[in-house]
Amino acid sequence: MNRVGLQYLAGDLSGGNARCIAMLQAFQEAIRDYSTPPEKTLTRDLTSKIGGFVSFLIECRPLSMSMGNAIRFLKSRIARLPLTLSESEAKTTLCSDIDRFINEKIVLADKVILRHAATKIRDGDVLLTYGSSCVVEMILLYAHELGKQFRVVVVDSHPMLEGQKLLRRLVVKGLSCTYTQLNAISYVMHKVTRVFLGASSIFSNGTVYSTVGTASVAMVAHAFRVPVLVCCEAYKFHERVQLDSICFNELGDPDAISKVPGRVDVNYLDNLTDKQKENLELLNLKYDATPSDYISVIVTDYGMIPPTSVPVIVRGYRKEYLLI
Amino acid sequence: MGAQKKGATARVSEDPEELARHPLQAILLADSFTTKFRPITLERPKVLLPLVNIPMINYTLAWLESAGVEEVFVFCCAHSKQVIDYLESSEWSSQPNFSVTTIESHNSISAGDALRLIYERNVIHGDFVLISGDTVSNMSLTQALQEHKDRRKKDANAIMTMVVKQSKPSPITQQSRLGTDELFMAINPVTKQLLYYEDKAEYSKGFISLDKTLIADNPSVILHNDKQDCYIDICSQEVLSLFTDNFDYQHLRRHFVKGLLVDDIMGYKIFTHEIHSSYAARIDNFRSYDTISKDIIQRWTYPFVPDVLCGSSAIKVERQGTYRASDVTLSRSAQFGSFTFIGQGTKIGTDTKISHSVIGERCTIGSNVTIEGSYIWNNVTIEDGCQLRNAIVCDGVILKSGAVLQPGVILSFKVVVGQQFVVPAYSKVSLLQQPTQQDSDEELEYADSTSGTGELRSDKLNGDIAPDLSETASELGTGGVGYIWTVFEGAYDEEWRHSVAPIPTDKLVKLMLDKDEDEELLTQDGNVISASRELKTDSDGNGSEDDDNEDSRDDYVSFEKEVEATFLRAVHENVKVDLAVLEVNALRLSYNMASVDCGGAIFYSMMKLAVESPHNSASELHRNAADIVTTWQKLLKSFLHDIDEEIEVILKFEEMCLESAKEFAALFPQILHLLYDKEILQEDAILRWADEKEGADESDKVFLKRSEKFIQWLREAEEEEDDEDE
Repeated sequence: MNRVGLQYLAGDLSGGNARCIAMLQAFQEAIRDYSTPPEKTLTRDLTSKIGGFVSFLIECRPLSMSMGNAIRFLKSRIARLPLTLSESEAKTTLCSDIDRFINEKIVLADKVILRHAATKIRDGDVLLTYGSSCVVEMILLYAHELGKQFRVVVVDSHPMLEGQKLLRRLVVKGLSCTYTQLNAISYVMHKVTRVFLGASSIFSNGTVYSTVGTASVAMVAHAFRVPVLVCCEAYKFHERVQLDSICFNELGDPDAISKVPGRVDVNYLDNLTDKQKENLELLNLKYDATPSDYISVIVTDYGMIPPTSVPVIVRGYRKEYLLI
Repeated sequence: MGAQKKGATARVSEDPEELARHPLQAILLADSFTTKFRPITLERPKVLLPLVNIPMINYTLAWLESAGVEEVFVFCCAHSKQVIDYLESSEWSSQPNFSVTTIESHNSISAGDALRLIYERNVIHGDFVLISGDTVSNMSLTQALQEHKDRRKKDANAIMTMVVKQSKPSPITQQSRLGTDELFMAINPVTKQLLYYEDKAEYSKGFISLDKTLIADNPSVILHNDKQDCYIDICSQEVLSLFTDNFDYQHLRRHFVKGLLVDDIMGYKIFTHEIHSSYAARIDNFRSYDTISKDIIQRWTYPFVPDVLCGSSAIKVERQGTYRASDVTLSRSAQFGSFTFIGQGTKIGTDTKISHSVIGERCTIGSNVTIEGSYIWNNVTIEDGCQLRNAIVCDGVILKSGAVLQPGVILSFKVVVGQQFVVPAYSKVSLLQQPTQQDSDEELEYADSTSGTGELRSDKLNGDIAPDLSETASELGTGGVGYIWTVFEGAYDEEWRHSVAPIPTDKLVKLMLDKDEDEELLTQDGNVISASRELKTDSDGNGSEDDDNEDSRDDYVSFEKEVEATFLRAVHENVKVDLAVLEVNALRLSYNMASVDCGGAIFYSMMKLAVESPHNSASELHRNAADIVTTWQKLLKSFLHDIDEEIEVILKFEEMCLESAKEFAALFPQILHLLYDKEILQEDAILRWADEKEGADESDKVFLKRSEKFIQWLREAEEEEDDEDE
């Protein structure tokens, strides 16, 4: 558990799915090592224990919505354990439940999504993606394997430059790519025929909560009448309603935006005196919210839906995971 | 650069003479002294051949100017007149602060001769840059030059700094993407001193030999095969005098560099300077011509790209790397694909498809023509329905309607290809007949075209064009003019290596198979397969994308490779077991593999490690394996959840013993026992494996027989247990 937390902190683990899977596997291990103290019931004690782990993880890095959903799932599973089960039985049930969650909600969901999304890629398309989303990467590779002829434009931005990682993997697989920074988005958008975006979460009013910059990409695409497809597993949906990205967000390291690594000549902010720093606020937001108006379709494991239908999935989904 | 020098003089007073008095000089060899570009170079010097429609020498000169060189001596030999005429008429002759002086020679036959001649002229007064006129670069010289000077101050014997760049050769063809052979260099990682240089290693031997003293004298040595020599050298004056002293030095690398490295009497040293983000490459053969052209079009050489270099003729860059001059006549239905350059005054007809190609000025291209990955120079006429793939077509060529150029064809100046004629792959066609006697020494070969014979020939040509027509009509179809050069024996197999065309897949497959046979033990075939894919992506630039061989086996192989890499890293960096489990799990998810595959792959990597770690006898090997298994049993165990997976491990092991790690064959029962002891394999798994194998044919049962005793013992133990239970 500690290790996963530290990995979050160091930024080794990033991407909604990777973080969620790592967390769930850590929980699995914790459950295996767990033994109920005398005079306590497993259900109660384990729940509080998990609560402790979660608060530790939050300290390392704020949880994403998807992780919140996963934790909620786990807690409900624990609460619904029949009291008649022995401790070891309960533990194995929980572990297999977690495995099933990872498999069904993440791994299989991704497969379903890429099947759906690949139908929307035609020969000669120019696809644009922003940052690095693992679902979008899988979609692109899958479509390439199917032999579709298309080009990819990878748009990226400072300070994370995650797009470069994606770019590297795509180029190795032989896709033809163009790489550019977010600043040039209006130039490249002319020839783009589809925009594929990943999401950290989707709220029930259809707002997409994703890496900062996504909103601008979606808006420019909208202005150019380019369809925007957001690819997101249904377990990341959340019933909250959010209108802007300020009231709930994550702040990154402010130094990351004030410095350019490896370029001494452009680090203009280096030698500010403390007095001058008082007048400066560095704002490194991690996420932003894209209003549903700018999104053409959301591709989920339940199929392709308009952003207005998110509440249906949220409702149905909650019912479902209480049942499994 | 200039400003920096002045600054340096003001501060460093002890050696102002060297720094301030001499402007930075460069020697540019406008002759490669090789025949790789024949037959084209029989009529025009290599440095004047257009590279994305601009003569190569312009790239080199533009870079020298931008890098702060003030005085360039252009050494011309073959076709010296053409070079001199070109330079005089070009803008280079009238640049302020950048003087281009030509030095002409008719009897030099090698770079060594050239440098001796320059030494006699006594024009070089300090450090200089030695470069050949076919180099494209955008690196900054400042740092390399500073390093060179600092070293010189400390050690007067540090006379040369070579520029190198990271570039991994393909493991199959042993060739870099520039088409040059794999290069081995030993470099001292601290001082960057070059200790060993070998560009013509014998692959058949499979090893290279280093001098023992190399290791003894240097605290650390890194042997690289992933560096590319950029052929940009910063030299001190001594280099010139060395050439004069050793009058047998001909080749810059083969004689001079190797000579210095071997000969330690004088104690001269060569150092390297590695560039990372900037570009530097030399056009050595047709393949590098192709590669570098693509790099230029994709703007890796910025600012030395066509639209910047020829500012006057207004070339516009459009999306997807297409370059178009201002007055191109393009039919509406013509398809003008990505990474294509079209020069001024060119006309393109209806339904013509062009991609990944360069088309020069004033060309006329008919309708329904297909051009892929080809380089078409100026004033070329291509009639309707022609097809060109990966070809080089020189000035003034005429392709009659329906002609087809197969990959790798070179058409030299003014060749005419007849109607419907198919020029076979890799053929070189010229109006000039192939020189009959082939000298074995590459360097000397050039001599016959250098000493004025080139002009002589063309004179003859002008008079004889009529007989040529009738004579060669058969050779290039009706109405064709030109000779197809025959490729002399031995070289034919190698032709594809240096051709403009991408390496054909069947060659790759053949090479892969050869290699597999050679090093079954060393190379896991996963290595080679994925490498082929790498190469493929290289050639994908030509639009030939077929990834048919993407199957699940492929996936598994690369998965196995990844697992192995992960495991090795875990071993070498002491990664904790549970972290390794997590990593392998992540791999499993991303490759969509079952945990059965994980178990197999991990076990495979463990055993491979055991085989590869040093051992002298079977017992030592056994001990190695035991150590590794003990340390990592938890990792392996976490992927073996049921008996089927354990059986898979046994099967995997059997397979290894048969194929890649035959040394284990003798140890099979012992290792099996070991795995049983460590509780990695349950007895049920072993017994079920034995039962399954019982029915197999005789050859399959080799290992079963070997481990018969052990299985017998297991069976008995089980029975005893059963007895006790009762």
